[in-house]
Amino acid sequence: MDRKPRILVVEDEDNIAVALDYLMTREGYDHDRVSSGADAMPRIRATHPDLVLLDVMLPEVSGYEICEGIRMDPTLADVKILMMTARGSAIERRKGLALGADGFVSKPFELKALREEVRRLLSIGV
Amino acid sequence: MLMHLSLRLRVLLIFAGLGVAVILATALGLWLGYSRLDAPGAGQGFIQAGVVAGFATLGLVAGVWYLFDLNVAKPIETLSGALRARAHADVNADMDAAIARYLGDLAPAAQAAAQSLSETRSALAEAVARETLRLGSEKARLEALLSDVPVGVILCSADHALAFYNSPAADVIGAGRGKGLEAGLDRKLFDYLHAAPLRHAYDRLIATADPDAASDLLCTTRDGARVLAARMRLLGDAGSPGYVLTLRDITGDMATEARREAMLAEALDSLRRPTAALATLVEVLPEDALPAPLEAALKEEVARLSQAVTRFGAARDEGQGEASALPQTRASDLAAGLTARLDTLGITVAARTADLLLRCNGFEIITLLAAAAQHVDARGSARDLQLAIDEEDSGAAIRLSWQGPRVTVAELDHWLAEPLSPEMPDRPASAVLAAHATEVWPEASAGRAALCLPIRRARRAVARPAPVARNVVYDFELLSPARTDKLADSRLDRMTYVVFDTETTGLNPRQGDEIVQLAALRIVNGRRVDGEVFDTLVNPGRPIPAVSTSVHGITDAMVADAPPVADVVRRFHKFAEGAVLIAHNAPFDMEFLRRVEAQLGLTFDMPVLDTVLLSAVVYGQHEVHSLDALSHRLGINIPEEARHTAIGDTLATADAFLKLVPMLAGRGLDTFGAVLVEVRKHGRLLKDLN
Repeated sequence: MDRKPRILVVEDEDNIAVALDYLMTREGYDHDRVSSGADAMPRIRATHPDLVLLDVMLPEVSGYEICEGIRMDPTLADVKILMMTARGSAIERRKGLALGADGFVSKPFELKALREEVRRLLSIGV
Repeated sequence: MLMHLSLRLRVLLIFAGLGVAVILATALGLWLGYSRLDAPGAGQGFIQAGVVAGFATLGLVAGVWYLFDLNVAKPIETLSGALRARAHADVNADMDAAIARYLGDLAPAAQAAAQSLSETRSALAEAVARETLRLGSEKARLEALLSDVPVGVILCSADHALAFYNSPAADVIGAGRGKGLEAGLDRKLFDYLHAAPLRHAYDRLIATADPDAASDLLCTTRDGARVLAARMRLLGDAGSPGYVLTLRDITGDMATEARREAMLAEALDSLRRPTAALATLVEVLPEDALPAPLEAALKEEVARLSQAVTRFGAARDEGQGEASALPQTRASDLAAGLTARLDTLGITVAARTADLLLRCNGFEIITLLAAAAQHVDARGSARDLQLAIDEEDSGAAIRLSWQGPRVTVAELDHWLAEPLSPEMPDRPASAVLAAHATEVWPEASAGRAALCLPIRRARRAVARPAPVARNVVYDFELLSPARTDKLADSRLDRMTYVVFDTETTGLNPRQGDEIVQLAALRIVNGRRVDGEVFDTLVNPGRPIPAVSTSVHGITDAMVADAPPVADVVRRFHKFAEGAVLIAHNAPFDMEFLRRVEAQLGLTFDMPVLDTVLLSAVVYGQHEVHSLDALSHRLGINIPEEARHTAIGDTLATADAFLKLVPMLAGRGLDTFGAVLVEVRKHGRLLKDLN
C-alpha cells in the first residue's frame, strides 16, 4: 500500500474517540471519525476506508446494520470491519462475525491487542 | 293330613284319586243301566246312567279345579307377589309360609330366598356405607395433605375446566380471597392464566403419546402480575385426557434475578466505557507528560482495572442463559410445536433436530420463530422453509432457513420490536431474546437465507429415563388405631403381607440348587402396593442347567453381573421384616431362604401362609392346587410371558390370596388364628411352616 491506510472510526463515545484518534495518529494512519450510525454509511461510501473501526451500540442505526450494509454493497467488498462492543458477549461476537465483520474486540481493549488486530486486518506486519 | 308326603306324591295321589273317582262314577252309571236291562225302557236307564256319570265327573273336575285354585294357583300368585315385593320394593317383612302350605317346600324356599336377599341387601348397604365412610375419610386426609403441599396443584379436564385445586393454587393463579375472581370448580383455567402456553404444552403432551411425559412451562396470570413455573402431566385416561398442573410462583425469583441482572449490566456498562477510554488514553499519553514513576503506576492500575472489568464481563457472559426459571425443552418438542403452529397458518416447515434438551421457554421461542416464519412467508418469495436445531459449543443453534432473498438486520429489528403475540401486547419479541440472553441474526449461504437463533445452554438428551413409578404410595388405614398386634386375632384383610416367589437352578436345595431370581411384593390392608416391589436376578454361583433355563428362561449370562444369593436374601429379609410371608408351595421357597440363615445370622421367623393350603381349605383336598389351576378357578389371568418368572408368579399368588381372603371369611375364617387352625388340618398335603 503506497498511501497511508485509511481508517474510519464509528464511535459515539467522545473520550474513546479521542483516545483512538491519538492512537491512529501515532500509528500513522489516515483516519476520520463519525459519531452516529446514520452518518456512517454515507461517509464510508464517500471515503471508501480500508478499515472501519465500528462500535456496536450506536444511536439511530446499530453497528450490526452498518456492518451488513457494507457487506451487501459489492463496491465496498475490500473494506475491512473491526467491531467494538462494550458488552463483549460471545453471542454478540458470533453475530458480528456472521454479519461479515473481520474482527471483534471487546471494551476495554488492550491497546496492544487492538493495534495488532488493526495491523492484521490491514495486512501490515506486526 | 298327608302333609308329610312330598308335593309330587301328593299331586300324584290327587290325580290317582280323580282317576279312581271317574272310574267309579262310570261304573256306577253302567251298573245302574245294566240293572235295568230287563225293564221296559232300558235305553232310558242308560241315558240316566250316562247323565249321573257325567254330572259326577263334572263335579269331581270342579272339585279338583277348586282345590287347585285354592291351594296351587292362588298361593303361587300370592307367593310371586310377595317375592316381587321383596325383589323390587325393598320389603323386608317375613313372608307368611302358611299361604302356600300345600306347595311343599316352595314357600319355605321362597322365604329363605327373600331372607337371603334381604341379608345381602343389608350387607351390601353396610359395605357401601363403610366404604363410603372410608373413602370420605381418605378423601379428607388427601385434602388435608394437598392443602399442606406448598406448591399449587390443579386438576383440569380436557377442556381446561378446574376439577380440583388446593389453596396454594388458588393463591398463585390470583384467585385468592379479595382478588376479584374467586376460584371455582368447572371454571376455565384460562379465566386465571394466559391460555397459549398451557394449550401449547397440552397439545405437545398429546402429540408425544407418552403417558409418563411431563412438560415444564412458564405461564403468566391474566393480569400479568405473576409469572408461574408450571409442570403439566396428563392424567391416564385415553382419548381426551385431563391433566395435573403443579404451579410455583416465580415472580419474586424472576424480579430478583432481573434486578440483579440489570444492576450487573449497569455496573459493567458504567465501568467498561470509562475504563476503555482510560486505558486507551493512558496508552497514548505523550512521552514525558508525567514523571516516569507516576506514569508507570498509572498504567499498572489502569491495566489491573481493565483486567478486572474484562474478567467480570466474561464471568457474567458465561453465567447468562442459566436462569433457573428457564425450563428444559426437548428440541423435537420445539420442532413439533412450531410445525403444528405453522400448519394452522397454512405454512409448511420441514424440521430436523439433534436430540437435545434446550434451556429455554419453549412457548416463547416457538412463538418467536412462528412470527419470523410468518414474516418470511408474507414476503411471498420464500420457498422450502426448514428448521434445524443443532448442537453448538455448550448450547444449540436454531436455524430457520428458506430458499429466497435474505432478511436484513433492519427488517429483523423492526419485527423484533413488535409484540410477541396479541395476548401479550406489552412483550415485544426482543424481550424474549433478552430473557434468553441471546441474539438473532440473518444469514445467507448456498442460495438459502436463514435466521440464526442461538440458545446458550443445551445438553444432549439421553433416552427418557424409565418412568419412575408415579403411584403415590399410601394406605391411610395404617393410621387407624383398630390395628391389633395380636397375630392370632388379626383380621386377614388388615394384615401386612409379603408375597414372594423364587426361580431356581433346580428342585433340590439340599443338593446345591440355588436361587436365580427372587421377586416379592407387599399387600397392605387388602391392597397390593404396586409401588413396593422387590424383583432381582441372583447370581447362583453355579451353572444353570439347560433344563431349568428352558422353564424360566434365565441363562448364565443374564445372572453374571447379578448380586450373589447372600446379598439378595439379606435384602429380602429386610424387605419382608414385620410382614406375613405368602408363597405358593412355601416349603420349597422357604428352604432356599432358610439354608443361608446361619451364614447371614438372620432368621426367617415371620409367620408364613401357603396359598396351596388356603386353596385346600376353600376347595377341599380333592382339587388340584397348582398355581395355574388355582388361578384358573379364581379367574386370574397370568400372561404367558410372565408365567415362570418370579414376579409373574408372585403377582398371580398375590391376586389368588386376595381372592381367597373373602372366601375364607365367608366360612367364618377371618382371623389369622382361625385360618391357621383350619390350614393345619391339611398337613397331609403340605407341611404348615408356622
